[in-house]
Amino acid sequence: MASEVNTSFLKDRRLDRIATDILRPVGVDRGFYIWMASLGTLLLVCLYAYFIQLDKGLIVTGLRDYVSWGMYISNFVFFVATSLVGMLISSVLGMMGYKWIKPIGRIAEIIAVAFSAVAGLVIVSDMGRPERLPYVFMYGRIQSPILWDVTVVTTYMTLSILLYILTMIPDMAISRGRIGHAPTWLQKTYEFLSFNFKHTPEQYKILLKAVRILLILIVPTAFAIHTVTSWLFAVTTRPGWDSTIFGPYFLSGAFVAGSAAVIILMFFVRNNYKLNRYITLEHFDKMGKLLFLVSIVYFYFNLNEYLVPAYKMKTFEARHLTELFVGEFAFMFWSVQLLGLIIPMILLLFKPMRKPMPMLLIAIVVLIASWFKRLLIVVPTMESPFLPKQHVPDAWMVYHPTIVETAITIGTITLAVMIISVLMKLFPVIPIWEVAEEESAHPDQQPVE
Amino acid sequence: MDRKASMISRFILIAFLGLSSATLCAQTPWEVPADRNIKLSQTEFADQNRNTGKDLYMTNCKSCHGEPGKNNAIRLVPQPPDPATVQLQQNSDGALQFKISEGRGPMPSFKNILSSADIWNIIAFVRSYNKDYKQQIAVRPTFGGEVFDKVSIQLSQEQGKTSVVAMVTGERGGLKKPLAGLEVKLFVRCYFGNLIVDKPIDTDANGKVNFNVPNNLPGDPTGKVALFAQLSNEELFGLVKTEAVMTIGIPTSKPPLNEPRALWNVVQKTPLWLLFTYIICVLAVWGLIFVVLFKLKTIFELGKAVRVDD
Ligand code: HEC
Repeated sequence: MASEVNTSFLKDRRLDRIATDILRPVGVDRGFYIWMASLGTLLLVCLYAYFIQLDKGLIVTGLRDYVSWGMYISNFVFFVATSLVGMLISSVLGMMGYKWIKPIGRIAEIIAVAFSAVAGLVIVSDMGRPERLPYVFMYGRIQSPILWDVTVVTTYMTLSILLYILTMIPDMAISRGRIGHAPTWLQKTYEFLSFNFKHTPEQYKILLKAVRILLILIVPTAFAIHTVTSWLFAVTTRPGWDSTIFGPYFLSGAFVAGSAAVIILMFFVRNNYKLNRYITLEHFDKMGKLLFLVSIVYFYFNLNEYLVPAYKMKTFEARHLTELFVGEFAFMFWSVQLLGLIIPMILLLFKPMRKPMPMLLIAIVVLIASWFKRLLIVVPTMESPFLPKQHVPDAWMVYHPTIVETAITIGTITLAVMIISVLMKLFPVIPIWEVAEEESAHPDQQPVE
Repeated sequence: MDRKASMISRFILIAFLGLSSATLCAQTPWEVPADRNIKLSQTEFADQNRNTGKDLYMTNCKSCHGEPGKNNAIRLVPQPPDPATVQLQQNSDGALQFKISEGRGPMPSFKNILSSADIWNIIAFVRSYNKDYKQQIAVRPTFGGEVFDKVSIQLSQEQGKTSVVAMVTGERGGLKKPLAGLEVKLFVRCYFGNLIVDKPIDTDANGKVNFNVPNNLPGDPTGKVALFAQLSNEELFGLVKTEAVMTIGIPTSKPPLNEPRALWNVVQKTPLWLLFTYIICVLAVWGLIFVVLFKLKTIFELGKAVRVDD
């Protein structure tokens, strides 16, 4: 982000066209109602499942003494991971001066907001006594990574929400008088969220400074959030978790999941909102290369994470790795590694594969695989404790997620999709002012649609 | 050969010998002391024993040995044998009792986990997989034909701090009599498990045993030590055991583990470096968040003054 804004774009007639294009889909229509109603119904069903869990306790899940972290914690790691892409795109690439990320920066921030907000709820879903949540703050121990995790998740969520709102202020002001087609309450919301912004150079200066602080703060916080999440595992001595590279391993994996999520939303924005003038083939090409880059870094960490212990085959690691490579989890493990990492990496090397449609398919597979990858990090380790499993019923030894638990997990994903839908439908998904500024600065560049 | 090379080769030789002897160890037959080998159960194995034994087997042993006859034991080195096999059934009752009690390598010792009656129940269950098995029952040992209402041990302290005396007496019809020739063990209670003091000793003609207490035995801040004594042979009179607290140790006042600031302690005892790091990080980030909020307020206020029509 530049430290100064050339406000001449406000006088440029291109602004009108850009604002009209981007604001056209904004508002509520029948399609949106139907979509939200269907998601709402699904959410209600899942809430019913949660009600059962509240009533009966965690016994309705497949969690028992040995596997006490199952689908819920894997889901939590997935949510935190996916939310990190906000930091990668807006902060890291943005501050390095890459201009192409401008139209997709907000999409990344929407993902960050939705996923970090729901991540907190996912943790609550793993609690048998959720009303005791305040105890974390009342009796939590600063020595425990759990408390650090709670701290950074809240901080990251706050930063993401602030970044989303702040970078939208000029757009809210531009939209004044331009969203006559939207309901009044939405116009009032816009008015409120514009914070009296009048495009004065002074206001821009302060805004840019504030955004800059956020962008810089988000980098260490995002690193912290996922590194601490990885420490929840890595500070134990258990096979599969007892690793010094867990922090970077998690971070690089997070970028893979997040980039895939951004690509999926980009495809949706381009096609459904007819914004292909702004989210162009070039953006898909660049995101394809980015996904390749983060995948190869993740691949490198995977190689270290599995090959080094597999070479040594220490007693307990050996048991764990055998389960992954050829045992109970082999099918899931190899599917995830091949479909979620290796094959996409190879495909992305070819330019035709970096076109929107193939990219969408790749991104969906990668995102699903990254959910299962988290399950593979959590469950197999829990299933192979150091001491032989004895004195317990057979059903406790292996983890079988129940329908209730699956429904609650689907519920959290539904909730995230709902938040994303609301943010994408009711507010401009592409930063009008940043795109307009960019276009008026380089009037001769024509987008490849 | 220069010195370095010779050292390396010696090292390799030692490592090699060490390795091969380790493998040899695992293959040596499991020696059972002769007196333990001939030991028998005092009760006849009945269905009730077999049923209790089955439950105990399923919870304690199945995870390694598998279900008897199904050959589904886990693969370990050495291999835990399936109870229905000849390898296991060829053991005498006493040998089974010894191996289960003592354990070896990956086979855990169960003598502190299961009572001796329960170990016999498991043996009863295991034997139900052996058609040719005919149980022999032990003759209940008697103490020279004498019977007592009650047998007890008294612990007392003698000669300052260097020894503890245990006296075993049998009681019948109000008459007390010292019992000679009975093995007594003395233990000190520790944080984890018990520590045997001196060695197991037989009572003398006066029914007495003199245990030498080491002079570096740590006690509590006043030198008190929690002790207990018991008869080694449980088959004669059942479990005979006495507890006592005596001032025989060196007064030690080590700070308890929950005293210092440490990672494992409560939040009030967080290590200072961690406390400060945490607080500084949180204050720094949230301080800056408030700076941003303040800037937002400034933007809002600046906007009030400006009137433009866009
Ligand atoms: C941790 C796994 C494990 C558990 C639990 C376990 N065992 Fe074993 N057991 C072994 C192994 C390994 C061996 C072979 C040891 C050796 O030969 O050094 C063995 C050997 C034995 C033997 C001797 C077999 C022979 O060849 O003479 C007997 C008897 C036995 N176990 C009974 C039991 C019983 C009864 C239980 C439950 C109370 C039990 N074990 C629980 C692992 C286990």
